[in-house]
Amino acid sequence: MIDDVVPVVENRPLTGGHFLLSVQSPRQAQATRAGQFAMVRLLDRSDVLLRRPMSIYDVKPAVARGRNVAPPFMAAGAKLRLSASRAEAGLPIASGRVPPGPTVATIIQLLYKVVGRGTHLMAELKPGDKVGLIAPLGHGFFVEEYLDAAQRADAVLHVAGGIGIAALLLPARDLARGGIRQRLFFGGRTKEDLVGLEEFKPLVKSIDVATENGSRGYRGYVTQRLETFLERNRSKKYLLMVCGPWGMLEASVRLAKRFDHPCLLSMENRMGCGLGVCLGCCIRVVGEGHNAYQRVCTEGPVFWAERVVFESTDCAD
Amino acid sequence: MNPQIAQIKQIKKKFKMQKSKFKIQKSEESAKSGDSGFSPRIDTEIAGVHFENPVLTASGTFGYGQEFAHLIDLNALGGIVVKGISAEPMAGNPPPRIYETGAGMLNAIGLQNVGARKFLEEKLPFLRTLRTRCVVNVFGYSTEDYVRAIEILNAGEGIDAYELNISCPNTRCGGMVYGNDPRLTEEVVGASKHVARFPLIVKLSPNVTDITVLARAAESAGADGLSLVNTFVGMAIDIESRMPRVSNITAGLSGPAIKPIALRMVYQVARAVKIPIIGIGGIASAEDALEYIIAGARAVQIGTANFYAPETTLRVIEGIREFCRRKQVHLAGLVGSIKVSTDVGPPSS
Repeated sequence: MIDDVVPVVENRPLTGGHFLLSVQSPRQAQATRAGQFAMVRLLDRSDVLLRRPMSIYDVKPAVARGRNVAPPFMAAGAKLRLSASRAEAGLPIASGRVPPGPTVATIIQLLYKVVGRGTHLMAELKPGDKVGLIAPLGHGFFVEEYLDAAQRADAVLHVAGGIGIAALLLPARDLARGGIRQRLFFGGRTKEDLVGLEEFKPLVKSIDVATENGSRGYRGYVTQRLETFLERNRSKKYLLMVCGPWGMLEASVRLAKRFDHPCLLSMENRMGCGLGVCLGCCIRVVGEGHNAYQRVCTEGPVFWAERVVFESTDCAD
Repeated sequence: MNPQIAQIKQIKKKFKMQKSKFKIQKSEESAKSGDSGFSPRIDTEIAGVHFENPVLTASGTFGYGQEFAHLIDLNALGGIVVKGISAEPMAGNPPPRIYETGAGMLNAIGLQNVGARKFLEEKLPFLRTLRTRCVVNVFGYSTEDYVRAIEILNAGEGIDAYELNISCPNTRCGGMVYGNDPRLTEEVVGASKHVARFPLIVKLSPNVTDITVLARAAESAGADGLSLVNTFVGMAIDIESRMPRVSNITAGLSGPAIKPIALRMVYQVARAVKIPIIGIGGIASAEDALEYIIAGARAVQIGTANFYAPETTLRVIEGIREFCRRKQVHLAGLVGSIKVSTDVGPPSS
């Protein structure tokens, strides 16, 4: 992790109150692995104290104006590990569908939705403004066991709910580079919530979209689409990678269990520090006593689904 | 005599010698005040423990130190107060545990911790490698719990002092019961002091009518110092769902929002007791820390600011040094130096 104050390069408004914030931070960008996150601090504000945790959506060599045209970046370490373990398993290395990325990333991109005071103020950031950024944090997706599960599967199914898409682009790109077949199931309240769809197009075999108001794709929850898909492909072995609201996670985990597929969850929670000390982001996991809770920021944000206990709480979240 | 006790006595003696040396140096240096090359001394002493500077990290905001090793120079700190330790490991409260409020945050973590034995095995060895003082925050649910935790921790090499947490607002029948009742305060402080191998600092709750009553009770029971204050009990409600924002319903408020109230309490207690005080509550700058010192604190702890600005402690240390240089005064000369026109304290709330 690196603690730095970095300049905003671009803060691009997207549909539905979403923004794509690009900051210039070569050291942090180059250290980033898929699935990791950043803690963002608005400087000189004593009323908004805490940093906001955000998935690192993308890392790039330079900011792309308009549509995303910059080639994707991939951490060299992750690539080597992926290729090596595929070779060991006797699997083909890199399908070549995705062009090789540049070796030097300088920009970190954070995809966010304006929901509260913190993100409201973030939306006002202009190029040249500074933000505090501690990144990269968390262990992300690419620890060996996740890779092994991806390689054993016939395909990786990404399941994203709204802004949850932000945690899945970097892993999808790494997996695509490793030649692993992927599909995306993406749900939102309205079509305005479906940001970042374009970036996924070159990486996945299919994209299945659902909106609660029916403004695009299937009308309903994306997990209903997922259920239909899993029903039709019972003979296949998938790995699910899920990020989204609590209800969607729970529904995805139920489906994974029913159809017997391994499932990874990228969890969100309120965080005080992101550094593992405040214990504010703990979630209930399988275990007793002192082992009953784990920190999203440190043991996560990615967890195997069977580790996470979904229990109803008596308060608002 | 137990060789460990002998060792402690020797260390204490060394500190006393350093202290008297410090006095001589101080008078020499104040004699040549006006000298632009004035180099202020900002070291301090609490409960017989010497600290290189008056800035410590508050319990529960700095883990066990190692978590910040990549972010700041831990050896530059005056002291690290580790996350509260109990005799047995604790699970903590269900989520959500925190919520941000105006210039502050609510937390109800529930004292999740690894337990005293695991702390000694897994956390203390790292802390021992630092020059920084290590203060271990201790809590329990009964006097026996406190005593048991201390008895386990007594085996730890590299612990400089205990901070007895009798003020956590977030555990069922937890420490705060002790912190609200002067008789119980005396009981738990007395019993803990009796077994403690290291100096005992007592951390008080602000959730009382008159904090000086509890401060005096702790002092009379043998406390070597006081930490003021723990978090203020507060709450927040989501008006859409009409549910509390934190699962524990009530939670402890910390951050800049509480600073004026905590400062007032330090000022009151400084006039009520003779033992040294560590000021805590919303400190985010050297100016904040200096207010506490002028009100009567010999040291300060920085808590919530560690979460959003990990470099705060180092900035505060530098700021205090710079202020002392500018004012040509040593830290000791600032402690309790508040100028008030009459000697009448503020009315008790």
